[in-house]
Amino acid sequence: MPSPPLIFAVHRNSTGDGPGIRTAVFLKGCPLRCAWCHNPESQQTRREVWHLEQRCRRCGACVAACPQQGITDRGEGLHIDQDACTGCGTCAARCPAQAMEAIGSERTIASLADEAARDRVWYESSGGGVTVSGGEPAAFPEFSAALLTACRDRGLHTAVDTCGHVRESAFSTVIQAADLVLFDCKHHDSERHRAWTGAGLERIVANLRLAAQRARTGACGLWIRTPLIPGATADPAVIAGIASLLLHEAGDAISRWELCAFNPGCQGKYRRLGRGWTCSDSLMGGDTCDALLEVARRCVADRFSVFLTGLRRDHLQRTA
Amino acid sequence: MTTPCPAPATARDPRLVRLAARRDLLGREGRRSCYVDNAEFLVYHWSGVGEGFAPPTGDGAIDQRINIGDNNCRVALGVPYPRAAEMPSKRHGLELDAFNWATDYAFFLAHHPCSIHPEEEVVGEFHWQLDEARQFRYPDEQRAAGFAARRLGAGGISYAHTCPDLSIGLALGWGGLLRQVRDSRARHAAVGHAAEERYLAAQELVVSAIQDWVRRHAERATALARDATPQLARHYRVVADTCAAIVDDAPRTFLQAVQWIQFFQLAERIIAHGNGYGRLDRLLLDYYRRDLAAGRMTRDQAQGWIAELFCKYGGNYFSIGGRDRDGRDATNELSRVILEAYDLNGGDNNLGVMWHADMDPAFFTQACEVLGRHGTGTPVLISYDVLRDSELRSGVDPAHAWDVAYSGCQWYCVVGREYNDQDLNSLVLIHPLQRAIARAAGEADADFERLFAILSEETSATAEALRDFKNATYRWQARVWPEMVTTLCMHGAIEAGRDCTDAGAVDYNLTSVNVLGVPNVADALHAIRTLVFERRRWTLAEVQAAVADDWQGREAMRQEFLAVDKFGNDLPEPDALAVRVGEMVRDHLESLRNCKGGHFRASLFQFMGHTYAGTVLGATPDGRRADEPLAHGLNPMHGRNTRGLTATARSFCSFDFRKYQGGSFQIELEPSYFPEGMRRGDLIEVFARGFFKLGGVQINLNIISMDRLRAAMEHPEEPANQDIVVKVTGYSSHFVIMDRRFQEEFIQRVNYPSL
Repeated sequence: MPSPPLIFAVHRNSTGDGPGIRTAVFLKGCPLRCAWCHNPESQQTRREVWHLEQRCRRCGACVAACPQQGITDRGEGLHIDQDACTGCGTCAARCPAQAMEAIGSERTIASLADEAARDRVWYESSGGGVTVSGGEPAAFPEFSAALLTACRDRGLHTAVDTCGHVRESAFSTVIQAADLVLFDCKHHDSERHRAWTGAGLERIVANLRLAAQRARTGACGLWIRTPLIPGATADPAVIAGIASLLLHEAGDAISRWELCAFNPGCQGKYRRLGRGWTCSDSLMGGDTCDALLEVARRCVADRFSVFLTGLRRDHLQRTA
Repeated sequence: MTTPCPAPATARDPRLVRLAARRDLLGREGRRSCYVDNAEFLVYHWSGVGEGFAPPTGDGAIDQRINIGDNNCRVALGVPYPRAAEMPSKRHGLELDAFNWATDYAFFLAHHPCSIHPEEEVVGEFHWQLDEARQFRYPDEQRAAGFAARRLGAGGISYAHTCPDLSIGLALGWGGLLRQVRDSRARHAAVGHAAEERYLAAQELVVSAIQDWVRRHAERATALARDATPQLARHYRVVADTCAAIVDDAPRTFLQAVQWIQFFQLAERIIAHGNGYGRLDRLLLDYYRRDLAAGRMTRDQAQGWIAELFCKYGGNYFSIGGRDRDGRDATNELSRVILEAYDLNGGDNNLGVMWHADMDPAFFTQACEVLGRHGTGTPVLISYDVLRDSELRSGVDPAHAWDVAYSGCQWYCVVGREYNDQDLNSLVLIHPLQRAIARAAGEADADFERLFAILSEETSATAEALRDFKNATYRWQARVWPEMVTTLCMHGAIEAGRDCTDAGAVDYNLTSVNVLGVPNVADALHAIRTLVFERRRWTLAEVQAAVADDWQGREAMRQEFLAVDKFGNDLPEPDALAVRVGEMVRDHLESLRNCKGGHFRASLFQFMGHTYAGTVLGATPDGRRADEPLAHGLNPMHGRNTRGLTATARSFCSFDFRKYQGGSFQIELEPSYFPEGMRRGDLIEVFARGFFKLGGVQINLNIISMDRLRAAMEHPEEPANQDIVVKVTGYSSHFVIMDRRFQEEFIQRVNYPSL
């Protein structure tokens, strides 16, 4: 993949991307195509444009502006031909209502690290730091490693959030600069994994071993994250299978396993991109998640701790 | 982040649960509602209709008024004061002087019921305010100055909003205060100080009336005990003994001291509004230690009585923590009792914890845990050192400055030594901006610096008009509406024979001014700098016309102005401009002196004027339409801080709060903000520690789902919705009883969700 990558978001004050209060930097471009992807705008490496319907005044400025003639007003709404779109951003620049938004911008490593360092007081008070996320950071190994190193040089705790599906050399380069590796483990069965994400487990398991090896030396921490997806991974047999894989490959190196409850809140992003959404429309039930958590905890005994994330938040939101 | 924190108090005394239920019922039924005259009062803090907050009944009451929340001490009975027509000033003539006022006060108290409710051990409430029975009106010359100031965008009332030193009254008791008044009166009489002597004669009326009122509470409790069940009679006898003991003598026990404070607050607030009441963990500490040591009281009893005090009305305004005279941590064992007393019953309360870097970390952890548990802004978190340093900067003697107390609202003062109009004056920065744009638009070669210079001149003109209005008020204040009960607990005022509102009575008379619209003006200036002067997209005249028309037919232009970077996102240009605007206003205010000798000071908050400002002020060049609120105090304009809580906090903390008089950071968090495995208190604590390290001064934090508030607006009748309490600004209130527009503004605030 080309470098440097585009940055599609910087989330400050994040409490869900590793320990403490963190700044999460999201790189655009991912080798996987998970059917449930919560950040569909993170998949393509190139710049994309999406359409924020509620802001749109249907003035037609974007239709006229597009050099590719890739935008059409079909009466029921605007349509962006994502295949034709080059991400040039002309439409976004012309839109008077900020309804067209170009996703992804070029940022220098220094500017990102400086921005992250601005929240140092909160990292210090919370045990937080910086998380480089994606997309897939290890798809841009030099950039990601340099960004993590620049953050380290500023005295910040560093984490990388990875799907693991990259060349081993790239993976090694990146984790060398991270104090914590957040490693996705979405399925234990390579074929099922391929069906849901577009890739098998071979590279992922190899890289999990690399991360575990490094974690065993004390050079970094290792957290595992598993999305609970109805019909795909939210299944006691899958959770037990993943637990078994984790115990076998890295049981003595993992310190935390997070089960991330499915949330259909990202459907709006698919609409903006003009793409279809194929997963469930509803939140997962608390009982289902609790049962899966129980399975996970039983399987790993007390080798490492297991937490449920995502769902409880929504429970709180509805009941608090 | 792992400091253990005591679990929430679970073993709640059923008696306290019932007393808290009554408190909540009063709020829900609107029996503690506080009103203001109209939108102009909110924006300018003076409307020309009344002289203060709107009296609920009586000659000064008006039909159309705004309910700002159930933060009133008054418990409404639903009828006007029955003896209003018999007030001495109505029978014998109204005079603008303290003696005439005190005669009314004494009559009003003498004919006020003593309300004691079953199971209470801390008693007392009032049902009408003096301004419902006595005319509260300044002479026309003052009003003329008021309208002149308002034309230029400023206004303000003057009453209450200071902090008496209750340790004076606790040490002397009502009898001791009366003797002090009499001694001073004799000294002034001996040297022919007629005015002082007459004022102190009036004070004798006031103190005697309060003593009589306290005595009648004892008698009423005794009578109630006679006909009550043995169980209830036990509580009534406690009340009778406590009240009888403090009619004349200084309180000797913890309960007596708590009850004395309650009577002081009632006697003071009954004149119409009230004050902050200082550092509760210092005021009561000696009583607490003595009673515990002597075995007269248990810790649970002390906590229960504080919880009762907190139930008496939602507007309890106390602080705890801070430092002592020597700079050491002043947190003590009673601080914890007080915090847990709030934790027992939750609800609306204005308790503040004054943090500093040397504070007992376990106590601060507990404070954050309590705040997280209830999620209704209590306790407010304040940085003590910023408070103290800003007082020092104002010229307060270091021997006094250490005893600064957060008020419970958004301001603070040194207890017993200041009379500063805190939170009562408003400088609406939109007015000078509008005039500056109009002037600069007429100058062919005006650049951005020229625009800023004109804005500075216009701000100065507004500040001077405000000064003239305040001086016109100060010349009359002690005669129109003296604050005689407060004066009893102000250092040196009784000795001087002067009301604390008068010149020469207290050490510091520094007029504080809330500046409304700093974020909007900064955003507007930055947009103008970018689009008019740098990119030459529009002319100032076009901007002026667009704003005058509320952007009608110019939506594309408005979007351009909206799209320019805004204050609150940790971006250097708009943030630096906001600081520059703040400094400019502060410089003008500080250069002015009032007729009492103090200078003016800028406060970076404004309580709720932003809510109605749009309808009064029109649109602004930051892309804001007229029907939108202004920014809340120094908090970024609604919906424009999009880069997360820490980015907003950094923008906020680009101001040096030691140079101002307060500026609260208002945070509304979705419950989902808190990830699993991390306690709410822990996250609040780490945020607060970082915020204070950057120089922030105050955090008002609500944890509330905006969806739930929207539902509450639609179904205020649902019992679950009626219990929602929010920290609105400098006070807490039940959400459903607030004015609709306040509710609408609240749900537009940026709520930080999970990320």
